[in-house]
Formats: sequence, structure tokens, C-alpha cells
Amino acid sequence: MISCKKATYLVSKKEENRLSWWESWQLRAHFGICSMCRKFEQQSGFIGRMARQVTMHETLSPKAKEKIQATLAREN
Amino acid sequence: MPKNQLNPDQWVQRYADALYSYTLPRVNDTAVAEDLVQETFISAWKARDSFKGEATEKSWLFSICKNKIIDHYRKKAREIMQPMSATGVTDSFFDEAEHWTKQDQPGDWGIDFSDTVENKEFYAVLAKCRKRLQEMQEAVFSMKYLEDMDAAEICKVLGITSSNYWVLIHRAKLQLRTCLEKNWLHIK
Repeated sequence: MISCKKATYLVSKKEENRLSWWESWQLRAHFGICSMCRKFEQQSGFIGRMARQVTMHETLSPKAKEKIQATLAREN
Repeated sequence: MPKNQLNPDQWVQRYADALYSYTLPRVNDTAVAEDLVQETFISAWKARDSFKGEATEKSWLFSICKNKIIDHYRKKAREIMQPMSATGVTDSFFDEAEHWTKQDQPGDWGIDFSDTVENKEFYAVLAKCRKRLQEMQEAVFSMKYLEDMDAAEICKVLGITSSNYWVLIHRAKLQLRTCLEKNWLHIK
């Protein structure tokens, strides 16, 4: 039986469909007896999906914009 | 007459905020994000003669910006001197038998995992947690999830092997999970 450390390592590979047949079997067997690693998989997937969806509506300070404008003017 | 034209006079006014909003979550540092936006405009200005008008001005600027972000990580990876070892990091998450320690075992988050609506507080905590990652972990996390690059591309940019890559992703996920559990969900 693989350890939790190995199982959580395989979870990331699984997300990218990079598990071999044997690794996939090992992970399923581990999940069968380890609720904590099942939780890890759920939470890890959630973090990844949230990170992918991040959208920010930030504004640059007027000062920063002036600085960029001035630098561009020098390039002209 | 090409379909799309450049109006460099209006770049800052029109696109600075959008480029900054795109860059900031990817580099997770306001000063770096500002610099990269500035560099984007300078490179665009220098390359203005190569603009063929096939893309819109906006998407052309964004593609330059995206390259700047990847370059930023490429440079960072070169600056980091210590060789990466696959096992060298201290393992606080697992005990000697490689099972979860009491302190770091995943808790019950009590949330609906299919629901990923925009959540300001989550992203504020995530940004803080990412600051605690080692630079290479942060680079890999950002390129994988925010730039949506595949493993092979990321390894090439950072000059790492695929087993380095998997270790970095693994460590980043373990750390972020623990940090979010503590600081976003306030469990433990």
C-alpha cells in the first residue's frame, strides 16, 4: 500500500492525466481506505479551479500611469 | 490598409488597468506587476512596425504582456542558485511512515466543491498564502493554473525536469491547502 505522501503526489499527476495504469490502481486502492487523502484530492482540485478562475479588476495608481507615460515619452 | 491599427498615444489610458489586472494575480506582487506593464508598453512601442494588423491592438498588447510574465519567471528561475533536490525539503505534512501528521491532516471544509463563484476573501487569502511559497513553487503554480501552460512548457521555461515539476506542484498544493484551511476557513 502506498503512503499518504505518495498518494497526494499522485493526485497532482492524476489531475493532468499522467498516471500509469499501476499508479492509478495504487491511488484507487489508497483512496479506498484513506478518507484524508480523498479530502485532499477534493480540496486540491478546488484550489486549482479557483486559481484558474481568478479575475481581478484592479486599477493602476495615477502616479504609476504617469510614470509609464513619461517612460514611453522618453522612448519616442 | 490593415484592419487594425495602433494608437500608442492612448495605450496607457485604454489598457494599463486591464494589463495590470491580468498581470497582478499572475506575479502576485504589485511592484513587479507595475514594472511588467511598463515593459509591455515599451516593447510594444519598439515593435510597433512589426504589427501587421491581423490581431486587435488589445490582443497584441496582451500577447506581449504574457511573454513578459513568462520571461519574469524564467529570469527568477535562473536567479535561484540552490540546486533543487526532490527530497531535501523538510516534511512537516507527513510523519516517518509518510502518513498525515495530526497537525496537517486535511480537515472538513464544509463547502460545496462544485461551487467556485467569485469569492474576494478566498482570493485575498490565496494571495497571502502564495507569498509563503518558495519562489519555484510559486512560479510553477502560477504558470500551471493562471497561465494554463502544460508541464512540458513549464519545465522548459524554468529549466527543470519533470520530476522536479511534480515535486514542486505537490509541495505547493500541500502548503496552500494547509494555509487556506487555517486562514480562510479558520479550521484548527
